[in-house]
Amino acid sequence: MTGWVFMLPFAVLFILVFLIPIIVSVRSSLFAQQPAGEGLYGGGELVDTFVGFDNFALAIGSSSFWRGMGRVVLYAAVQIPTMIIAALVLALLLDSFIVRRPAFFRLASFLPFAIPGIIAAMIWLYLYTPEVSPFMQYLPDGVDLMAPGTVLLSMGNMTTWTYTGYNMLIFLAALQAVPGELYEAARLDGANGWQIATKVKIPLVRGAALLAVLLSIIGTIQLFNEPVIMESANPWMGKDFTPMMLTYNSLLGAISPSGSGIASAYSLLMAFIAGILAIGYALLQRRKGDAA
Amino acid sequence: MTSQTRLTRAAAVIAVGAMSAFGLAACSAAEPSAPAGDGPAVTISYLHRLPDGEGMTPVADIVARWNAENPTIQVEATKFDGAASDMILKLETDINAGTGPCLAQLGYAEVPQMFVKGLLQDVASEADKYADDFSAGAFGMMRVGDAVVGLPQDTGPLVYFYNATEFENLGLAVPATLEDLSSESATAAAAGKYITAFTPDEAMYWLSAQAAAAGDVWFTTENDEWAVDAEGAGSQKVAAFWQGLVDNKQTIVTERWGDGFPKALADGSLIGHVGAAWEAGFLLDSLDGTSSEGQWRVAQLPDFGAGAMTGPDGGSGVAVMEGCEHPAEAMAFNDWFNTQIDDLASQGLVVAANGTPQSSEKMQRQFGGQDVLAALAEASANLNPDFAYAPGFASLTKMNETAAGVGAGTSTVADVFTTAQTTAVATLKDLGLPVAE
Repeated sequence: MTGWVFMLPFAVLFILVFLIPIIVSVRSSLFAQQPAGEGLYGGGELVDTFVGFDNFALAIGSSSFWRGMGRVVLYAAVQIPTMIIAALVLALLLDSFIVRRPAFFRLASFLPFAIPGIIAAMIWLYLYTPEVSPFMQYLPDGVDLMAPGTVLLSMGNMTTWTYTGYNMLIFLAALQAVPGELYEAARLDGANGWQIATKVKIPLVRGAALLAVLLSIIGTIQLFNEPVIMESANPWMGKDFTPMMLTYNSLLGAISPSGSGIASAYSLLMAFIAGILAIGYALLQRRKGDAA
Repeated sequence: MTSQTRLTRAAAVIAVGAMSAFGLAACSAAEPSAPAGDGPAVTISYLHRLPDGEGMTPVADIVARWNAENPTIQVEATKFDGAASDMILKLETDINAGTGPCLAQLGYAEVPQMFVKGLLQDVASEADKYADDFSAGAFGMMRVGDAVVGLPQDTGPLVYFYNATEFENLGLAVPATLEDLSSESATAAAAGKYITAFTPDEAMYWLSAQAAAAGDVWFTTENDEWAVDAEGAGSQKVAAFWQGLVDNKQTIVTERWGDGFPKALADGSLIGHVGAAWEAGFLLDSLDGTSSEGQWRVAQLPDFGAGAMTGPDGGSGVAVMEGCEHPAEAMAFNDWFNTQIDDLASQGLVVAANGTPQSSEKMQRQFGGQDVLAALAEASANLNPDFAYAPGFASLTKMNETAAGVGAGTSTVADVFTTAQTTAVATLKDLGLPVAE
């Protein structure tokens, strides 16, 4: 009985903020709002019509969805490894004896994550805009950090800046959970600092790396803040630059087809793809782990 | 099945709890102003997104005056802080949940879409009583077929802003026709100045309004089907005009809401601008205290080939939402509110109601004592009366995407209108409405 009472707050929140939205969105993805009547304005009323998997067919057949997904995958392929390696290096440095004030550095590198994503994106937009940027004037002429060829890299830089410290904390926590005897034993065996880092520490944070990469994959599929802010200054990007933007703007009616049905279908499709990628990556990691 | 019913019931209990909490809050808030006298009062809720900025008469003050004078019709105004598109989504969600407001501010281009979605009431018989209070063009914007869904609030006719001092220095005349604008752009460009800016992020409303100024009507009906013509003679003329300026580098290509526009304005390279009337409220703010202060003027849009005609770039009205239980009372307030022209003008609006409000001290200072609002009212009266929006107009933001390539030469201005045509047709079809092709 007591157990159930302790479960209650979790269960209530879980149902309210997780289960109900999912059920609603699955239901809504199976319906389309169609005009109730004839005429130019469709009778001035919409009816929910069951359309089965039509919305999914539309979503899967949507070229802008897949173009957006392509951008996101390309983005992830560059940004995630860069960020994870940077986070690992930072964590190793902090964990070693090189750094004298780990608490300060820990906080300092975590700080960007404390800044709300939208605000961070706006700050970077400001830094990238030639007319107001404090550093663009020192770059060679013709450098455009928001041109079609470079905007993905510029956004990758924003995300890396925001999340490296966060991932570093994951690694740091894993590193600090390593028993000191292991290092002692390695040192007795004649290992130097570099060898301890590469042969002892890095293999031991594999679990943390798996978690960090999984979280990053899921987060990247939902890429939204950065492109929305960038699009506000660069209309060429379009309202469907990433699948998440496509979903949001379909719901708002800035993209046709619009409505909650198609938007739900997009988001479920996105969740499905994120799931596949995450499971694929986890399985790949496990197999590699077994082989090693 | 049982678990699902239980779930539904739980959700209902929570929802009712939340609603009664809101209800109680609403009651206690309304109590002090509740009437003592005749009959029970009705309460009208009103959602707006007027700026309520410094030096403006706040909406709350205007509404308080109404509430004091009309004890039987009490109005609760709420300001929505956020993008217009977000407010539409909120309205849609709330109305479908039965908790929507009675009155809400809508952009003219949003009205048909909202009506198709069944979110607006047809209040034609009430609206007709008040039609004479408003300019005919603006009133027409609240008309959807035979239905009228509310009353207009403000308009956004295109006008021409220019720096009179610089024009005089360069020997330029105020352009009377599109050809003038073109030839004077060349003269100004030779002196390193621009008398227009091409703004891709405003393409959707800005270029469609110019096509309207050139006499085009994008959406008409043929045998009860939509006919879309975004590539007509007017659009072609507008496209050729801007393409010429861009190709010859006689205009500055910059985002209207980016940093390039205010910078060009501040450094004096941009000395003219085809803009919406509502821009008069803040266009010159960055020039306050500089040597350019008081040099700018407002003129009518040059003749785009259809005589003294301009097109609508923005503007909004106040519509009666579905589920409003007192549409007649709501419309009475709606008419009163939208005819408080001095108060609304203080909010930076070019009011749709008849009559010319007093130009503010700030406007007179920025425009060198010109009676700006009279010029804007004239433009308002010259709006293309036939240009109306169709459902799904919001999806024409796709035009901005195409327009963004114009500066780089990856697309032409004519492409922007082609985008408008194909997107508008596709959107109407997606909405399940009949389209003639």
